[in-house]
Amino acid sequence: MECDRAVALLPRLIDDALWPFTRLRMNRHVAGCAACAGKLEELRAMQAAIRTNLPYHRAPPGLAARIGAALPREMAPRPLRPWFRMPAFGMAGTGLAGALAGVALTVLVLGGQPGMQSDVMQEVIGSHIRSLQADHLIDVQTSDQHTVKPWLSARLDVSPQVVELKDAGFPLVGGRMDYVDGHPAAVVVYRHAKHVINLFAWASSGKADATFHTEAQQGFNIVTWRHDGITYYAVSDVEADQLSEFAHLVAQGG
Amino acid sequence: MPHDDRRRRFELLALPHLDAAYNLARWLAGNTTDAEDVVQDAYLRAFRYFDAFQGGNFRVWLLTIVRNAFMTWVKENRSSRMTFVPATPAAETADNEEIMWGSRPRDPEALLLESIDSQTLSRLMEQLPAEYREVLLLREVEDLAYKEIAEVTGVPMGTVMSRLSRARLSLRKLWLAQAETENAHGV
Repeated sequence: MECDRAVALLPRLIDDALWPFTRLRMNRHVAGCAACAGKLEELRAMQAAIRTNLPYHRAPPGLAARIGAALPREMAPRPLRPWFRMPAFGMAGTGLAGALAGVALTVLVLGGQPGMQSDVMQEVIGSHIRSLQADHLIDVQTSDQHTVKPWLSARLDVSPQVVELKDAGFPLVGGRMDYVDGHPAAVVVYRHAKHVINLFAWASSGKADATFHTEAQQGFNIVTWRHDGITYYAVSDVEADQLSEFAHLVAQGG
Repeated sequence: MPHDDRRRRFELLALPHLDAAYNLARWLAGNTTDAEDVVQDAYLRAFRYFDAFQGGNFRVWLLTIVRNAFMTWVKENRSSRMTFVPATPAAETADNEEIMWGSRPRDPEALLLESIDSQTLSRLMEQLPAEYREVLLLREVEDLAYKEIAEVTGVPMGTVMSRLSRARLSLRKLWLAQAETENAHGV
């Protein structure tokens, strides 16, 4: 291969955009040509410099809120605690990476597989992730189960189990409304040490009870079950065993 | 609740890319205020045209919109941010590469580029024409393939490749000049 041809192909070599055969010929040429090898080295150094040293500008915290406020009104008939309001949204990348780095994911869904469709799972995980990015993805903030339960019942067609599990190491933090799989869903928020557990519950009347099923996905553990016509999804980065214990406690009513 | 569903789907797809959108806008616009305006406009457009998203890589689709929003902003504000490099016939030919490379410096100075500090690198990037800066960002920071860069910037793939090549050589030239100045001042 001639040098001028090789020089023109150098960028494609560092961008990994050459067909295998051409790449082979290029590598052979560079191995025997000091001039081209030097250029290749410089290009690689520059690529590495940009990738590691160029500042990455993260979205400022207020931006998400501004976008949310600017979205056309009629597009938002209900105040669905949009993520736009979350002050920490600018940290999305960091928070997400942290959250994902956290764990192995395990979901516990038993037996009847109460709707472990992957899209539902994705929605639940997505909601969980957003709740981690802002500390206030909680519409009603209280450690009192007698406040959370009526609050949720008043807004939903289900009355999910809301139990106090503080003594077991799972203090109640609050609750919020959410939307999963096209249905309104209650989310009861607990903590376990530094970790957040989001317990999703929605009506699935007419469906048979299902025992616990555990699954791990995207770095989160998920336990699902169905009882009394309500489907439950517990999502967290706490360990699978502990989340399973949590799920059993909730199902037993504390 | 079709609106809620639509909004929710939009959230799920657009949420993870706000930083990427902002980073691109910030490098293109050059300051935070304008970058925020551009990103906000882009997200509103994306939401409006969300139904037109045909699947595929959402980030590429969104960055395309960010880029378009920036171009609109340039027009409306009569900004000179998008200064295009004069496309002289000589600059467009492929065999210009050798000239762009110039002679290799006597010392291995150029290789020190790897250890360039981020402040200096930022400054040099700012000196590049916007289209060079843009193509470098899309390639090195967003790690997009040539084909995807072509989609975002709306130019043929061949143009992407030559532009990227010239962008790298321009950055290298700026860096060499900078290193020379530093040496001259005994830094």
